Amino acid sequence: MKRTIGTRIFDIVNITIILILCAMMLYPYLNQLAISFNDGRDTLLGGITIFPRVFTFENYRTIFKDPSIGSAFLISVTRTLLNVVFALFVTFSAAYAMTRKNLKGRKFFARYFCIPAYLHAGLIPTYILYRYLGLINNYWVYVVPFGFTFYTFVILRSFIQEIPEALEESALIDGANEIVVMFKIIMPLSLPALATVALWVAVGQWNDWTTTLYYITDSELFPLQYVIMRIIKQGEQVKQEALLAAMGASQSKAVTTSESVKASMLIITSVPIIMVYPFLQKYFVKGVTLGAVKG
Amino acid sequence: MEKVKNTTVSGIKERRNTFSANKYMYILLAPAVICVFIFGYAPLCGLLMAFKDYDALVGFAKSPWVGFENIKNIFEFPNFIGAIKNTLLYSSVCLFGQFPFPILLAIMLNEVRGKTFKKVSQTVTYLPHFLSWISVVGFAYSMFALHGPFNNVMVRIFGESYERTNILLESDNFLGFIFFSGLWKEVGWSSIIYLAAIAGIDQALYEAAAIDGAGKLKQIWHITLPSLRTTAVLVLIMNVGSLVTSNFEQVYGFQNVYTQTDTEVINTLVYREGIQNGEYSMATAFGLVQGLVSLMLVMAANKLSKKLSGTAIW
Repeated sequence: MKRTIGTRIFDIVNITIILILCAMMLYPYLNQLAISFNDGRDTLLGGITIFPRVFTFENYRTIFKDPSIGSAFLISVTRTLLNVVFALFVTFSAAYAMTRKNLKGRKFFARYFCIPAYLHAGLIPTYILYRYLGLINNYWVYVVPFGFTFYTFVILRSFIQEIPEALEESALIDGANEIVVMFKIIMPLSLPALATVALWVAVGQWNDWTTTLYYITDSELFPLQYVIMRIIKQGEQVKQEALLAAMGASQSKAVTTSESVKASMLIITSVPIIMVYPFLQKYFVKGVTLGAVKG
Repeated sequence: MEKVKNTTVSGIKERRNTFSANKYMYILLAPAVICVFIFGYAPLCGLLMAFKDYDALVGFAKSPWVGFENIKNIFEFPNFIGAIKNTLLYSSVCLFGQFPFPILLAIMLNEVRGKTFKKVSQTVTYLPHFLSWISVVGFAYSMFALHGPFNNVMVRIFGESYERTNILLESDNFLGFIFFSGLWKEVGWSSIIYLAAIAGIDQALYEAAAIDGAGKLKQIWHITLPSLRTTAVLVLIMNVGSLVTSNFEQVYGFQNVYTQTDTEVINTLVYREGIQNGEYSMATAFGLVQGLVSLMLVMAANKLSKKLSGTAIW
């Protein structure tokens, strides 16, 4: 195609807008990164952009010294891992079984799985149920309820449907049962879809703090995201009170630390995702287009 | 968007004849069936609580029935009407206001010729999707702090006479924050589906248009946009149920002591009344009304789109 002046102007405008957009996406993050490495008292003076002015590791040192952060980190990591394994196992087995056209009651099960995806009981009935099950203030509330999600199921099912049937049939003829076939043949072939779904589950779990807000009051069970939520929410209140008290010198010190601690916490909680995500982008993206096939 | 199934008729028949024993399949289904029963269906029984006067001391079964009393009462509940208004306002502004932007971004990204630049900008714009809402709120509080970047820029533009304020503390700005933070977080991610749709457009159409003398903008207007119509309709339908629900994490996250009363939505009201104040029956009634309206909206939208464009979720 020939490049006329019109297309050239179009390209320049287009790229400029995209660049501005990217800057807007990155700036808040880089700003927090700079604050997290900046001396707390200096941060109070304001004007930190994307480079720290008085470099220090002190903020991170403060955080890592706090034992409650360590336990919160452990909670976050274990619940994420357990969830990925549990959700993938439950959903994948169901998805595989549902690809079998000769399964009796297949239509019934399809409905059965679909209805709760659109008909939610809401927060309070769920809360009461969890209380009956003893899940309130119980670590397992992070794992057990998330075994089956309809969306994941749909994605996995549509992927498994694409696998040629001849592969499993030959194994079945050789005398393997369906469970063996699932683990030995279908699962290895479904790795791309499984990776996609695993990443989604992991990100969702890592970022979740509402489960804690609703069902947990025991501070030993707080994950990182919930700790950071409390820092942000309380930090605002503290800051406002401090400002209303006309910014006395002693108070402003407390404000400073809360600001730097908040920044460092934000960085710590998002670093695992930001480090991993660009390398796995294609898996994340694949899931979206897979899911689009059949909502 | 259509997928061709790989299964052949003979394959299915053969399988039906050869392997009639399904017991392993039911073993594989069992965990999911149990999970859905406990966490999908069992809570639905709890909806009956909306018709009871729940008393934690005597338990769910023994609490007295009150019929539609709770449902009637919710409309007299202070803040409920306000919560409905806010919910509808925030959701509709977000749903309809945000939805052109991912389309625009997809078109812009598609027009980028440099492969690396395109990839990097995609990565960057998708990134906020993976941050938790509370992180976004944390970013916002820093950006709009009294001595944060926003106020600094305003002072630079309007001079020292500009009075620094934290606009996050005024409930008038709440809708703006909900809208723009949602856009910031999801615009890139939502564009993926449109990028995929654009990739499916027949390139010959563009070549023909170029020969006929259509410039870039004309090509986008007459070829790209019409080709995205089905996808856009589908996306709208899928999200229409969200009109009566708010993003709890986002709203609750952005609320603070100054804005909370004016910006209550149904979801936050249910949380505060139900879990914090123990008004179980009342909060269940809120949730029930909300859930039913949401379900009706989804079904109506589905029917409408089936009629209009032939695309539907089910």
